[in-house]
Amino acid sequence: MRDQPAAAPTPAGPDDQHVPAPRWARWFVAAYLAVFVVCGVAGLEAWPLTGWRLFADARQARQPGFQAVTVDQAGHETPIPFRDLPIGYHGDVQVLKGFAGLPPDRQAAVCQAWAEAVRDRGGEVAEVRIYQTVTDVSRRVGDRGAPPARTLRFTCRPGSADAGG
Amino acid sequence: MPAAETALRRVEGWLFAPGDPRRLAAVRIGLCGLLAIRLASGPYAELATQPPALFRPISFLRLLDRMPSPEAVAALQALALAAAVLATVGLLTRVTLPLAWLAALPLVAMTSSLGKVVHNDVLLLLCLVPLLPSRAGAAWSLDARQRPVAARGPLFGWPVRTAMVVVAGAYFLSGLAKLLHAGPAWVAGGNLRWVLYAASDSQPQPNPFALFVADRPVLAHLVAAATLAVELGFPLVLWRPRLAWLFVPAALAMHAGIGLAMHLDYRVMAATVLVVLVDWPALADRFGPVPVEERP
Repeated sequence: MRDQPAAAPTPAGPDDQHVPAPRWARWFVAAYLAVFVVCGVAGLEAWPLTGWRLFADARQARQPGFQAVTVDQAGHETPIPFRDLPIGYHGDVQVLKGFAGLPPDRQAAVCQAWAEAVRDRGGEVAEVRIYQTVTDVSRRVGDRGAPPARTLRFTCRPGSADAGG
Repeated sequence: MPAAETALRRVEGWLFAPGDPRRLAAVRIGLCGLLAIRLASGPYAELATQPPALFRPISFLRLLDRMPSPEAVAALQALALAAAVLATVGLLTRVTLPLAWLAALPLVAMTSSLGKVVHNDVLLLLCLVPLLPSRAGAAWSLDARQRPVAARGPLFGWPVRTAMVVVAGAYFLSGLAKLLHAGPAWVAGGNLRWVLYAASDSQPQPNPFALFVADRPVLAHLVAAATLAVELGFPLVLWRPRLAWLFVPAALAMHAGIGLAMHLDYRVMAATVLVVLVDWPALADRFGPVPVEERP
C-alpha cells in the first residue's frame, strides 16, 4: 500500500523523469481539489461533488417520522411495503418528509402511484393514509422497538377527486 | 518563505512527483472494472419506469421532470458499459475512459434521484476524474502494445495521488461533517445506539449485529469513537503510506459492519479504497513470478 518507486527496474523506454508535470495538470488538479474540499467543508451538494454527510446528525432516542398505509374497503390498514416495491419507490422516507410541502395535485399523484403499486401486488386500496409518527427507539419490547405514537396527517382516495390532503 | 508557502510547495512536490505508469494502469483497470460491474448490474432500467410523481432529481437531472425514458437509459447503459470495458482493457483509453465516465454520470445520478445521495458510487466517480485527462493507458493496456513501454515519469504520478487525496478527503470530510453537525454528542451521546436500534427495527427481522452493539452502551461509544478516529485520521496515509495497512482494513471493517448491521451497501466505496490505496505493481513485483533472467 505504498506510493514508492516500484521494486523492479523500470522497463526500458523514453525516460521523462526530470520533465515537470504539465502546467495544465497543475491547474486541473488544483481546481478539482479546491471544489472537492469546498463542497466537503461547506456541506454543499453539487453532485457528484458532495458534502459527505453520512450519518452526520446526532440521533435522539425519540425519532420523528412518517408512516404510509393503505386502507381496504373494510377499513383494515396495511403499511405500504416500500422495500418490496420496485426501487423507484424506495425514496419513501424523503417523499413522506416533503409530502406536506407538495402541491395538492402532486400529493394526489404520489398517492396514486403508491396505490397502483400496491394494487399491482394484489392489494386492495380504498384509501391511502399518512401518519406522522414519533418513535422512542429506547423503549424496547423484546428485540423490537415499541410501536410509535401516530397522528393522522393526510388521507387520499386514489382515483377520486378528493385525492389530495 | 512563509510556512504556508513552504507547506504548499511540499504538497505540490509530492502530488506532481514522478510515478509508475503501472500504478496508474492498475488504478485505471480497477476503477473502470468497478464501473463496468456497476453499469452491468445497476437498477437503471427499473428506475426508468418510476412514476414521475416520485422523481426527486439531483444535480443536472433537475432539468428533467421525470427519470429518463427506458429507451434512453438502455442506449446510455450500453454505451457506458462498452466504453468502461474498453477503458478497463485499455483500448483507445484517451477516448473510452472519458466516454464511460460521461455516459455513466446520468445513470448513477438516477440512483441518487430518490431523495437521498447514494455515496457508494460517488467516490468511484470522483476518483476517476483525475484519470480522465491522464495517460492512463500507457501501461498494462492494449494501447501500450502499439508503442514503446512507458518509463516512470511525472505524467503518471499526479492522477493516482490526486485520487488518493480524494479517498482520504472523503473519509476526513465525513468525519468533519459529524463534528460540525453533531459535535461530541456523536460519540458521547446515545447517537449510535439509536441509529442501530432504528436500523434493526426497520428490517423484517431484528438484526443481531445491530442489537449486539446497541444493547451495550460502552461498546456503542467505543465503536462511535473508533469510526470518528478512522475517518478523521485517514489522511495520515498520505503522509505515512505504511499507515494504509491500518486505515484501509479499518475502513473496510467499518463498511462491512455497516453492511451487516444496517444492510447498507458500501461495497463499491470499499473496493474503490482498495484499488486506489494499494500499490498493486509493488505487490506484483514482490509476490509475482520472478523474471527468467533473475532466477538463480
